[in-house]
Amino acid sequence: MKRTEKITAASVMTFIIAFSAVTLFRGNLEIMNTAKKNLIDGGFSEELINCMAENFPMKDKWRAIGAELNSKFGEPIVNGVYIDDERLFSLDLASYEDMDSAAEFVNEFTEKYDGAVYFAAIPTSTGVYGDVLPSYLLPITEKQQADRLYEELSPDIRKIDAYTILKMLSDNNYIYCRSDTRWTSYGAYCVYRTVIQKLGFIPVSYDKYTIFHVTDSYCGNLYSRTSYMESKPDILDIYEYDDGTVIEECTGIDKDGVKRRITPYDESNIGYELYLGEPMPFVKIRTSVNNDKKLLVIGDTSSDSFIPFLTKHYSEIAFVSVQCTGRDIEKYIDPDNYEQTLFLLGLDSIANIF
Amino acid sequence: MTYSNLLFIYIFLPAALAVYCIVPKKLKNTALLLGSIIFCGFMGFKMMLFIMLYCIANYVAALFIYNIRPKIKFIPMAAAIIFDIVMLVSFRAEYFSYLHGFMKIPEEAFPLGISLFTLSAIGYLIDVYRGDIKADKNFIRFSLFIMMFPRIIMGPVVSYDIFVSILRKRRLNIAEIGAGLTIFIKGLAKKVILADQLFMLYSASMSGGFENISASSAWLGMISYMFCLYFTLSGFSDMGVGLSRCFGYRFPSGFSYPIFSGRIRTFASHWHIQVIHWFRKYITRPLSSMTDVPLLSKLIFAAVWSLAGFWYGFSWGGVLWGFLMGIAIMTENKLRRFKLLRSNGIFYTIPVIMILSVFLALGDISDAFRCLWAMVGGSGILADSMTAYLLRSYAVVLIATVYASTDLFRNTIIRAKNSRLSWTLSFLTPIAMLMLLCICTSLMSYSGKSDILIINL
Repeated sequence: MKRTEKITAASVMTFIIAFSAVTLFRGNLEIMNTAKKNLIDGGFSEELINCMAENFPMKDKWRAIGAELNSKFGEPIVNGVYIDDERLFSLDLASYEDMDSAAEFVNEFTEKYDGAVYFAAIPTSTGVYGDVLPSYLLPITEKQQADRLYEELSPDIRKIDAYTILKMLSDNNYIYCRSDTRWTSYGAYCVYRTVIQKLGFIPVSYDKYTIFHVTDSYCGNLYSRTSYMESKPDILDIYEYDDGTVIEECTGIDKDGVKRRITPYDESNIGYELYLGEPMPFVKIRTSVNNDKKLLVIGDTSSDSFIPFLTKHYSEIAFVSVQCTGRDIEKYIDPDNYEQTLFLLGLDSIANIF
Repeated sequence: MTYSNLLFIYIFLPAALAVYCIVPKKLKNTALLLGSIIFCGFMGFKMMLFIMLYCIANYVAALFIYNIRPKIKFIPMAAAIIFDIVMLVSFRAEYFSYLHGFMKIPEEAFPLGISLFTLSAIGYLIDVYRGDIKADKNFIRFSLFIMMFPRIIMGPVVSYDIFVSILRKRRLNIAEIGAGLTIFIKGLAKKVILADQLFMLYSASMSGGFENISASSAWLGMISYMFCLYFTLSGFSDMGVGLSRCFGYRFPSGFSYPIFSGRIRTFASHWHIQVIHWFRKYITRPLSSMTDVPLLSKLIFAAVWSLAGFWYGFSWGGVLWGFLMGIAIMTENKLRRFKLLRSNGIFYTIPVIMILSVFLALGDISDAFRCLWAMVGGSGILADSMTAYLLRSYAVVLIATVYASTDLFRNTIIRAKNSRLSWTLSFLTPIAMLMLLCICTSLMSYSGKSDILIINL
């Protein structure tokens, strides 16, 4: 039976060599050089393996097959994402300790700050639609996390219950992306209606907006983690209301400290970067609204689709993304220049930020 | 670095094999050692340095033992064995984990090998001390015995004379590479397709905590743990044996379908064969030969099994697992005269193995008893919807697991090879291997590796 072994050797080795040759050809040598720095300790091979995973040929196709096989072999969980017929769910959960840590940060900020502080914890799609998941996968629900966070916040902070608003609307409304953890523009609008009233303004009614579908094939951050071909793509919308208000200045400061001109809706991006462009630590928007009202928004990537709604009410909005800055927000802004501060934090990102 | 990652399979292995095939015969061992040093280097420079120093220390100690006066040769032997054990304990015991942290070695890589090559090194020192073998002056050969990369992670733990005879009988040709790749891919599939899914099932089953878990979930959890352990260990063992074969060396397999054994004793002798043999050869036999008292022999037998359990788990749970395994084997030997046990061995062997695995799985004895309490319905829930959901979700894997744990497939292939189907088989086997490799690659494509290890050896 030497014939069998010879054919096996020839075919398997040909496959392995072809695969490795293409991978090396496509390889990102910059990552390889970074990995070399970790030669002394064990991080070297980890980085090379990651590099390999990111560079091998037809990566997305392999991952799609992997996702399909994973869901056939066992539970439909791939790379920390639960694959449901309707949508994808992130299974990354923040702990109560993460909530306490976030509350501590917000309380410290409030103590030093002269103006009014508002806080809204934004659930992910798992928090709102996660009832369909097996209960053992979510030992703590996002509702419990949000309750814990609100309990720990100082009484001086005005709390906004975004969870209940979104949960009530969850049945027949397209408020969350199916392939992303984040809300749609409509989800953001529903919360905006409540938030803006708390901030002292009358919300723009829904029928005044002209809605443009920028794309109906957006594959979100959960799709990127699974490459699951059967997942349903999402629609990304722009909400426009022409009341004469114009955006006079919209600038961002990137991670390297470089100032850039951006737009609230960047239609050159068909991803979630459509809203406020690439993630930046700091964004400042000046409008023609003549009321001298200034708002500081401290948030994360879920705030991106929310901020454009605020531009009809404030003459200046400053947005600090704690995903980029961490706790060190004073490096970019003096909060006391703003009379109101709104914390708009996604419950999923709290674990990674604080 | 382990074998179950894309870097190893698609870069390291073809490169190492190509260099090994190109170099002249005289330099093949040197090339293999160089490959092994680079393999260790992937786990970090400090790790590479440590293993090389470890080899030098044992090499020098063995030369001392061999060359000095018989009366005092126990001194270097004892010193070297103490050194090896201290190194093992430093890396594996929780209280000494600072050394592991200091060397910044990835958790999944290093401890997986140290338990195995410590046994190899101690066995070698004892053999030299007894005069069974000469201390080898060839440093390259000795270093290969310790750190040869196809063996370093999961052995097999063979004695030095057997290792040398295997090295001498090197057969490097394309058929051997093909046979080696077949074994390697089977091992990879065991780890990536079965063990990883079983680990998910184990984690899901036990996620409720012992107070709330139903009896059915607890049983499902323990069954999946035992199968996961088996497929992780035997998967890595097969990968090692397959890799050795690719380089022309035929090492024995570490496992021989132990799970569905008809006797506990058969399970014990088919489970991690060379490791169990090592404990028998170097500890049980020398100690038992010192006494004629049957009770003492039995105590020694149980104590050595406890030591083997400790070697596995480095926990009191591991010790108790080993002790109870020893007791179970002796009890079975006593009771085998009853006809009922002889005919239905499989029906008591599997439950006993599953129940005892609780101690190995949980490590902590109080946790183990709480789990056992849940398994007998102590939480007040016998079955729940979660078990039904998990059984439904993992049905494919569970069926494949049961099938792969038996020798049915192997026997079918052997029968087919001897029949008219052999021609068809010679084309189906490569296709099946390529398919398995593709499946494993796709399952590893997210992180580039299959890094779940249920036990660190």
